[in-house]
Amino acid sequence: MFQRVLIANRGEIALRVIRACRDLGVGVVAVYSTADRGAPWLALADEAVCIGPPPAAESYLKVPRIIAAGEKTNVDALHPGYGFLAENADFAEMCRECNIEFIGPPHEAMRKLGNKNEAKKIARQAKVPLVPGSDGLITTEDEALKVARQIGYPVLIKAAAGGGGRGMRVARNDHSLVAGYQSARQEAEAAFKDGSVFLEKYLEQPRHIEVQLLGDQHGNMIHLYERDCSLQRRHQKLVEESPAPNLPSRTRDEMCKAAVRLARQAGYYNAGTCEFLVDRQNNFYFIEVNSRIQVEHPVTELVTGIDLVREQIRIAAGEKLKIRQSDVVQRGWAIECRINAEDPSNNFQPSAGTITRWQSPGGPGIRLDTQAVAGYRVPPNYDSLVAKLLSHQPTRAEAIAVMRRALGEFVVEGIRTTIPIHQKIFSTSAFVDGQVDTTFIERVFLGQGASEPGM
Amino acid sequence: MAENKQPPGPFDVRTVRELVELMDKFDLSEVDLNDGGQRIRLRRGGRLVATTPALLTTPALAPTAIPSTNSQPIAPPPPAAPSRKLLEIKSELVGTFYAKPAPDKEDYVKVGSRVSPDTVVCKVEAMKIFNDITAKCTGTIAEICVQNGQFVEFDQVLFRVEPA
Repeated sequence: MFQRVLIANRGEIALRVIRACRDLGVGVVAVYSTADRGAPWLALADEAVCIGPPPAAESYLKVPRIIAAGEKTNVDALHPGYGFLAENADFAEMCRECNIEFIGPPHEAMRKLGNKNEAKKIARQAKVPLVPGSDGLITTEDEALKVARQIGYPVLIKAAAGGGGRGMRVARNDHSLVAGYQSARQEAEAAFKDGSVFLEKYLEQPRHIEVQLLGDQHGNMIHLYERDCSLQRRHQKLVEESPAPNLPSRTRDEMCKAAVRLARQAGYYNAGTCEFLVDRQNNFYFIEVNSRIQVEHPVTELVTGIDLVREQIRIAAGEKLKIRQSDVVQRGWAIECRINAEDPSNNFQPSAGTITRWQSPGGPGIRLDTQAVAGYRVPPNYDSLVAKLLSHQPTRAEAIAVMRRALGEFVVEGIRTTIPIHQKIFSTSAFVDGQVDTTFIERVFLGQGASEPGM
Repeated sequence: MAENKQPPGPFDVRTVRELVELMDKFDLSEVDLNDGGQRIRLRRGGRLVATTPALLTTPALAPTAIPSTNSQPIAPPPPAAPSRKLLEIKSELVGTFYAKPAPDKEDYVKVGSRVSPDTVVCKVEAMKIFNDITAKCTGTIAEICVQNGQFVEFDQVLFRVEPA
């Protein structure tokens, strides 16, 4: 086991990793920017090293300073948390070259899975279903029509160089395909100086379901079942739960097995997540692998009773997984609400500042992961997540009831938070019935239609 | 602090004094003790840091108090107040402080050395790369706050300079 671990992150995940290290009897070095000077979690580390000014590019993303801090404080491993450098394969490789073990997957697998085309190739080899689409770029209108009829309408026209919805069009018939093809090309040409496009089946109101994976360096790879993360606003998850409601057990089994196959194919180990889109007919399609611990990992911890961060550290230290697939059981239901320093009544504007009152919920069935205390100043420089509130109960209905109780107890003053929107979600019948998809928040609360790209 | 007639403070002055003597005797640059509710952290070389949960009333020894589970607003740490208005040369890097260009050479600067913005005052080594640190101000070195070979972090005060 490691002697000392450096945590290259901040906020609640830094605290989460500190706790796992303490549980394992491993020493902890924290690093921080001047914006986080005096932050509560730093006092819980054995040592804290200031690595730079507030901008992340000069501190939490500044590789030489983080590695220097690790070398000077004699750490033998580094936990990247999520965000920042967590999925940077070059950083992982550099850590290992400096004899600081990166607590995460092999950098070769990270690199492959971080490349969209490479990841798709691995999925195909592992016989994991992908969203049907054109195999390559579309160069003529006739080709577009042929492919669209083959995969079936509606289809999504996507710019090869695209991102953020630009150069994307939905077509529901031949007529709108021809029009959409031309305008997508022009838009992509203007935005990216590259007019190449490809076609993909457009999934209407899909669910976002992901499978938690855990593998050691000795060839053992298991899944810890799924999380439903469909409740999102602009691709930012708000509520996550496990198991996924109304998911046929056969689909669940197939998805979990597919995720394990894909991870094996990629030569993956440590914790990871395989993300899928699931359509109304419960067909699932691979999107990507997140090669890191995820924000919503406690949902799985509650349901399976397995401490994912501790397992990550043990795996990185070379230990064999003690858990076999047959040991993993889904017990009850867990739901997580992300409490962000954002104002839901004002278009989710970030709400940094000093927390003047912090009355946190508790009692049976509640877990709260947070770096915040009364008097804590939420700096404007980073992610707005201030707490993850989780409930765990035998049934979904009970987990919802306990979450409602906890949200009602939770009082935060000085900053705005997402607590009010969570209260609305948890009293909406469609949510209570488990009728959720990725367009739910926009459709139900923000008075917007299902946001279709380019429409 | 020894004269403090308040109810018992978070740590005993005698303990701190003994620790400082021990650090001196054994040439330790840092001591960090954690005993449940209280924590004492001492660093030699111009930086003195003591931390403790601020639920307990903290006398003025601590220039940097890191509260853990307190209920008071977290105030920015007051800087160690120098007697005169001195300029500070701070580390822009995380690494090892070297006062001299090579082991057999003289220190770049001593107390009393005159510096201008381009004067190299020390090196900070990070990842086997030695980076020259310049004064970026004009004046006379009044205090050297770190020792040769000491680990320094970003924003740490390395020198204090009497402005010209």
